[in-house]
Parts: sequence; C-alpha cells; structure tokens
Amino acid sequence: MEAWRLPLSSSIRGKLISAGYTSLPSISSISSSDLARDVNITEEEAFEILRLAKQSSGSSSCNGSRSLINGAKNAWDMLHEEDSLPRITTSCSDLDSILGGGISCRDVTEIGGVPGIGKTQIGIQLSVNVQIPRECGGIGGKAIYIDTEGSFMVERALQIAEACVEDMEEYTGYMHKHFQANQVQMKPKDILENIFYFRVCSYTEQIALVNHLDKFISENKDVKVVIVDSITFHFRQDFDDLVQRTRVLSEMALKFMKLAKKFSLAVVLLNQVTTKYTEGSFQLALALGDSWSHSCTNRVILYWNGDERYAYIDKSPSLPSASASYTVTSRGLRNSSSSSKRVKMM
Amino acid sequence: IELFFSNLGQWSRGGVTTMAPLKHLEKENPILDACFRDFCASHGILTVEDFLLHDLYQLAAFSERQTNSDRLKEGITLMLSLIELQCRPWLNGLELLDDLQRNNHTLSTGDKGTDSLLQGGIREGQLTELVGPSSSGKTQFCMQAAATVAENHLGRVLYLDTGNSFSARRIAQFICSNSDAALGQTVMSRISCHTVYDIYTMFDTLQGLEVTLRSQMNVNEYRLQLLVVDSISSLITPILGGSGSQGTCS
Repeated sequence: MEAWRLPLSSSIRGKLISAGYTSLPSISSISSSDLARDVNITEEEAFEILRLAKQSSGSSSCNGSRSLINGAKNAWDMLHEEDSLPRITTSCSDLDSILGGGISCRDVTEIGGVPGIGKTQIGIQLSVNVQIPRECGGIGGKAIYIDTEGSFMVERALQIAEACVEDMEEYTGYMHKHFQANQVQMKPKDILENIFYFRVCSYTEQIALVNHLDKFISENKDVKVVIVDSITFHFRQDFDDLVQRTRVLSEMALKFMKLAKKFSLAVVLLNQVTTKYTEGSFQLALALGDSWSHSCTNRVILYWNGDERYAYIDKSPSLPSASASYTVTSRGLRNSSSSSKRVKMM
Repeated sequence: IELFFSNLGQWSRGGVTTMAPLKHLEKENPILDACFRDFCASHGILTVEDFLLHDLYQLAAFSERQTNSDRLKEGITLMLSLIELQCRPWLNGLELLDDLQRNNHTLSTGDKGTDSLLQGGIREGQLTELVGPSSSGKTQFCMQAAATVAENHLGRVLYLDTGNSFSARRIAQFICSNSDAALGQTVMSRISCHTVYDIYTMFDTLQGLEVTLRSQMNVNEYRLQLLVVDSISSLITPILGGSGSQGTCS
C-alpha cells in the first residue's frame, strides 16, 4: 500500500513523499520523533501518521492470535451460522429434501431447463413462499422479481397466492386446534403487494438495475429473495463482442454474490438451454457458456424424464448430487407422487 | 532477485526495512554522512532500494567530479558490502537434496490418490494451481485440503472465497468423525474464511496478510500453513481485456 493513499492533508503528504517515505513499511518501522524530525512536522502529526499507517496495514498486534486479517471468520462460528440459516421452501417436499430444506438464503442458485419445464412457475412459487410468516415455518420476507422475458402472469401469481393462503389456514387449523381458521392474517392481495416487479427490456437496463439493487434493498430490508427470469434473454442476441459479454456477465455475477452475502438473501437466476457439440454429439447445456457456469454457487437443472418433470442438483458445495420429480398444478408446484390435498409446509 | 530483496527486509540492526532511508545507516556507519546523502539525493537516491536500482557505475563516475570523491567512493563500497552481508548464504544442490530427504515439506491433501500424484502432497513455499471445468470438484478439493491441514498438521488455514462456496458444514464432514466435540471445535477454529468480491479488495487483503505474517505472532500453532483462493479467475474475468474472441489475456 502506498503512502499517498493515507487520509492526510495534502501538505503533510507532500512533505512525507518528498522526504522519501513512499510506502507504508518504511513509515511503520520508524519512531514518531524521528519521523517528525525528518519530515519537518510536529510530533502529534507524526504520531497520527503512524497510527493511520498501522490501522490501514491491518496489523492488530494486541490480539494477533485471533484473526489473520480483519473480517475473516472462523469455520466453527460459520458452522453455527449455517445451521441456523433460513431456507425458502418450494412447496414440493421431494425437491426441498434434495435441496437440503429449500433454497438457501445467502447463496446464488441457478435453475435452468428447456422451455416449458416450469422455470417461471418455480420463480412465482418462490416469490410467494418467501412471504410465509414465521409462525407457519417460513421466513416472512418480500420478493423482487426481475422479468426480462415478459413471462410473469399476475393472474397465475394470484392463483398460487390463494392456494398458499388456503394451505396456511389448513396448516394452522391442523396444528393449533384451539385457533380459529381465520387467525391467518395474510390475504392473497397482501402477498401480491409484497412482490416488487421490475420489467427489463434490454441488457443495459438489466445492468443498471443490478447496480441499483444494492440501494433498493438497503431501503427495503425485508426483501429475502431476488428472482431473475431469465438472466440470459438479453445477452444471447445482439451481443457481437463475446469478450465484453464475458466481462459484463462475470461482473454481474459478482454483484449478485455480494448482494446475497451482504443482505442474507437468496438469489435465484433462471437460465435457458442451448445445444453444445461435445464428444461427437449434440447435447443440451445451459446458455451463456463455460465462464458463466462458474459464477453461481448452486446449480439445478430441470429436465423431462418420460412424462415427468425432474430436477437435478448439478453443482453444490455441500449437497450431494440427487434428482427429484415434481409437478406443476393449478395450485403451484407440488410433489408428483402425492395425490392428497394436504401439503407439508416445513 | 526476489530472495535477495526479501532478505534485505531482515536487517538485524535497528529494525531497518528494505525501504529504509539512508540516514538510518548513519549511526553505525559514520562515513555515510550528510555529504554522502546529499550527493545520493541529487541523483534521486533516498532509500536503500533506490541505491540498488541505480546504475552504480554512473554514480561512481559522477562522484569523480566531486571534491570529496574518495570519501564518496568509500561510501558506495561500504553500502555494497553492507548489502552483501545481509545476503542469505548460498546453498548448493547437495544441501538442498539433503534437506528435502530429511524434512518433509509437503502438506497432505487428504486424498491418497492426489497425494501420490503430487509425490507427498502440496509443497510448502510453492504455488499450486487447480484447474477444471465447472462442478468438477475444485471447491471440494480445496475444502478437503483445508480440513486435512487443520486436523493433521496443526496449522492455520486461510480460505479466500469469491463465490460463496465455502460451506462450514461440508468441512465438518471432512474432519474425521470424532466423538470429542471440543477437538472438532479446535480444528475448525483453525480455518478462517474471508470473502472478496473484486480484485482491489484482494490486493488490500493480501497486503494486510503480508504485514501480519511478518509480525512475531506467526509462530507455532498460529502459523499460517495453507492459503486457499477459490477462485482467482472470477476476480480477473471482469477486468480482462484483449482482442481474442475467447477473452484470453493478451
């Protein structure tokens, strides 16, 4: 680190540099009286410079045993944090179990699949499920839905919200027998009110929105999930310069990671598929190329198996590879094998 | 040259570092007095590093023109001998081989196949690069190595994570199942994790780490044995330029 980056007045900084002290290690090895004499400043100013130098070089000599660098966390503390991390249910218990309880907050999850497999349905289901209040086992947060394709249908969201409220009433009526069924405060309209919807029509708008999200979420701290449907649409056509596309996409991915970590929210990116020519045959692969595939923490691939829809965990740092089936019903996402109307909430 | 410079940082007298101004040497070597320093300053030499980077023949030639040229030349020779004194003694190939056979400088990765491939494990003092397509197991390898080092080698591990892929639960699974919870806690507390999202933060972090490592606290059980960066390419890709269509650095 260079000495000119220290927060000092420009006259002192000028004196420091003209005396030959251009880098921090040279300042930190000298006593304040020597520094004051050399640079022709008062002793208080020299003391202040040394204090700033020690601070910015991050050396904490008093408790040097505890942390190697400022901000580093211990794995043991993180274990306890991770266990208490809330998860967003997908309303399909098979899918929840392979995801380890649901979509985890503080992670970027990429979900990709062929058209018509149910990506937008999962997006809408998650934006409704994130609002399930804590009494029913949810996390009680709001949702941001960024729509790039125009596939968000408000009527469908209302349908899913109504089904969710009915399930919640059934659940509370089942679990707390002495409560009345109308104890649940949420109405379908309240659920719709808590989904912040952004419609994006070009890639510049998409980049601008991602930059703006930090400020938006600082003002609306309840937001617990950001769904982007889909992340690829504006980047697949009209982008001549592939190098620039890679750069822009990786920067966007880093911004999402930062958001997820900073506000402890879940980021769900929906992706399309493309064909790739590998090993002599054409195979389906997620769009945006190999460099994008490194950018997310978890990846779930949706595919058809006969007549059933399946989800497969393709990439995860802590979950084993597994697949589970699900169906899309008029009430939203459900288990494919269960035919009963009662759905396990958590 | 890298070795040379890093050893200059270990001046035994008065804690002077590489960038030390020349005046710090005056106490022990009176010949490097104000005249000498003024002469050096007129050529832009203020610190030991400047002295090394300067063309010394040119400096000697300029000193000829000064009235006190003998003293100046004595000063230059003394500077060079001081620098040589601080050099680490040479090692020949046989001594290096001896050292290799006697001391084990490798860290086991936790997987026998990889250990035999790397002939013992990850080497200390070297940079090991792990490359692979997405979801090929790079993060798993890193986490397993971190867990093994923390458990077997009794040293600390720093994990710099750029993609939220560090999972404490997975690390706990890698550490052999002990019924002793306290031991598990000690092992896990040796691993520290820090997230960086852009290349500038990474530089600052590494700089701060260097200062901490040079301090006296980096000994015995607090010694940092393994530094893992997962992954460096996600920090570099956003700033990569070049004219190639694949986005390679040219």
